Amino acid sequence: MGDILSAENIIKQYAGHRALDDVSLSVPEGSIYGLLGPNGAGKTTLLRIINRITAPDSGTLKFDERPMTADDVCRIGYLPEERGLYKKMKVGEQALYLARLKGLDKTEARTQLEMWFRKFNIMGWWDRKVDELSKGMAQKVQFIVTVIHRPRLLIFDEPFSGFDPINAQLLRDEILNLRDEGATVIFSTHNMASVEEICDHITLINKSRNILTGPVDEIRRSWGTGSYRVDFAGDPVQLAGAVDGLCSSEPAAPEASADADRLNSLVLTPLTRDIRVRELVGRINETVEIHGFREMIPSMNDIFIRAVEASDDPTEK
Amino acid sequence: MSKIALIIQREFNQRVRKRSFIIMTILMPILMAGLMIVPVLIAQYGSSPSAAREIVVVDSSGVVAPALRDEQGLAFTATAMTYDSARMAPQYSGAFGFLVVGPQVVGNPSELTLYTRESSTLAIENNIREQVRRAVYQKRIEQANVPGLDSILERLQVYPVLTTYRLDARAGGEGAARESSSAISMGVSYALGFIIYLFIFIYGAAIMQGVIEEKSNRIVEVIVSSVKPFQLMMGKIIGMALVALTQFAVWVVLIGGTMLAIQHFALGCADAMPAELTTAVKSLDGIFLLKMAGAFLLFFTGGYLLYASMYAAVGSAVENVQDTQQLQLPITIPLFLAVVVMMNVMHDPTNTVAFWFSIIPFTSPIIMIARIPFGVPAWEVALSAVLLYATFLLIVSLAAKIYLTGIFMYGKKPTLGEMLRWIRYKG
Repeated sequence: MGDILSAENIIKQYAGHRALDDVSLSVPEGSIYGLLGPNGAGKTTLLRIINRITAPDSGTLKFDERPMTADDVCRIGYLPEERGLYKKMKVGEQALYLARLKGLDKTEARTQLEMWFRKFNIMGWWDRKVDELSKGMAQKVQFIVTVIHRPRLLIFDEPFSGFDPINAQLLRDEILNLRDEGATVIFSTHNMASVEEICDHITLINKSRNILTGPVDEIRRSWGTGSYRVDFAGDPVQLAGAVDGLCSSEPAAPEASADADRLNSLVLTPLTRDIRVRELVGRINETVEIHGFREMIPSMNDIFIRAVEASDDPTEK
Repeated sequence: MSKIALIIQREFNQRVRKRSFIIMTILMPILMAGLMIVPVLIAQYGSSPSAAREIVVVDSSGVVAPALRDEQGLAFTATAMTYDSARMAPQYSGAFGFLVVGPQVVGNPSELTLYTRESSTLAIENNIREQVRRAVYQKRIEQANVPGLDSILERLQVYPVLTTYRLDARAGGEGAARESSSAISMGVSYALGFIIYLFIFIYGAAIMQGVIEEKSNRIVEVIVSSVKPFQLMMGKIIGMALVALTQFAVWVVLIGGTMLAIQHFALGCADAMPAELTTAVKSLDGIFLLKMAGAFLLFFTGGYLLYASMYAAVGSAVENVQDTQQLQLPITIPLFLAVVVMMNVMHDPTNTVAFWFSIIPFTSPIIMIARIPFGVPAWEVALSAVLLYATFLLIVSLAAKIYLTGIFMYGKKPTLGEMLRWIRYKG
């Protein structure tokens, strides 16, 4: 499948600082695309440019692989980070209004909204005013009106902020559902756990520049050291001797678990790239009692921190 | 349903259902009626204090004291004492004042002095002067010793009644005239001019606040994918115009009903109605009222649209109402100017100032409506209206450009100069 959206060499200059400096990204159709970066990196500016709220100083946007036009915006649903609801209006009435503005007819809008309100368990709020709602509640309403007209591209700016873990899980499931129904999702977040769980692709922006982009699994593999962690019952020195010639080894901090005091852990780093894992495991197995063996893949959190630090200090690389 | 209709509908419903709107709509005519009735009530009952004020009359002429009648809260007591002893007399310690009449008062009516313990009022002095005048007048007629002199004098009095007509060829052919009243023209002129001013001011500010709300709550960002900013702005302006017209219509019905009731009540005691007022009511014929209503709709709508688009542009540039003070100046100055000029126009509706201010679009809605009750040539009304609506089209296109840039601009509050520069941005 092709790219539903691509941005090429976007530059946006504000008085005194450059919010986006030559940022490019392509969002494959049907993917969940994470836009990551520290506070103030330019994520929201990029999302606003995609929504044509602001215009870039230079660079092009393509929708469905042709230059994006103003009409394409109606295929996008946008959830801004700051709430976009009339405070004095009743929740149901407001949702109905926004849904109809997005092109649904009255009865269809009502059916759809009631379905969503039940799903999010907020039917009781239909006749309450928006300013009586908690942040999470308002966020749910906002989310519903963003997706109600089934846009092909969904853009969420910090969708998980203000949610407790249960509601965050609910939201994650709904985002995955929408993807399965054919929508493409772009969202910006600080929540790295959610990135690992649901993102297919990411772009990491720091200080207005794109410093890392690609499919999540590729990125995690390429940022990995290729090391393995082994948890075992037995003598670490004996094990180090057994794998000598294949791997270098060093002690690893024990993980918090029920039998942590009984187990030892080592990090094994292969000396060559083309190590045969079966042989390695065989040797370990002959020497000690294996409780756990796994490839050490860095978390998105680690990658985020390392990538941002590296780009902040170019001399390090 | 088109999107702009949806926006209009939301704007209208939200405003009209507000408690403050309902209260204002019902209360305003009552307040206005109160403003008209209270002075009448005060005039009727306020002037007579609960206890009559005693005036002790020291009359050495013997002419004035018997003729004085107790009226309007004054009670006269004649005394044979001199002023000095009466002033000290215990039975007069509660008297309001002492009227000292000289012996030659018939020959010299200035021999008249009023001493009061508290400060006297114009009403008391006028009353005494009038009563003394009548007494002395009567006495002089007697002294002239001409039989039937008082009836002769009565016949010599002239009370002219001036009935005014305005020659109006359109009303009923050549030479047709209808009774007119400057007083009623002035009243209608002032009321309509002021209502247009108030409505533009109140509803314009409401537009501005609405725009600021949509901007600062990021509502525009949510719906920009389905609605063009221009649609949002126009929907708001039109929706609000309907709210204003609804309010006005309710007032017309309420006030009209009250007026009919008063008229009905007044007919019961027709002699109580001064001739002036009868003429005034007669000059309020149906055609005149219809014409005024049409002119009001035309100029109110035009003026409102013109100012509302400017208010919307200002609202789009800021994030809270406090920041609008300075940016509002170009809007409020012509409005205030119009009201100031209107006062002048009401007294002389045909002079050059009146003419030009009723043609220039920014003041014309108020000044033209203030002139129309006095009669304005049709071409002037047409020119003024065409200019007004043409200016609206120009201003709304500029305002839309400012709005388009401003509504997504956060951070520093722009200056007027910067706002004007936004007009040149390509949208």
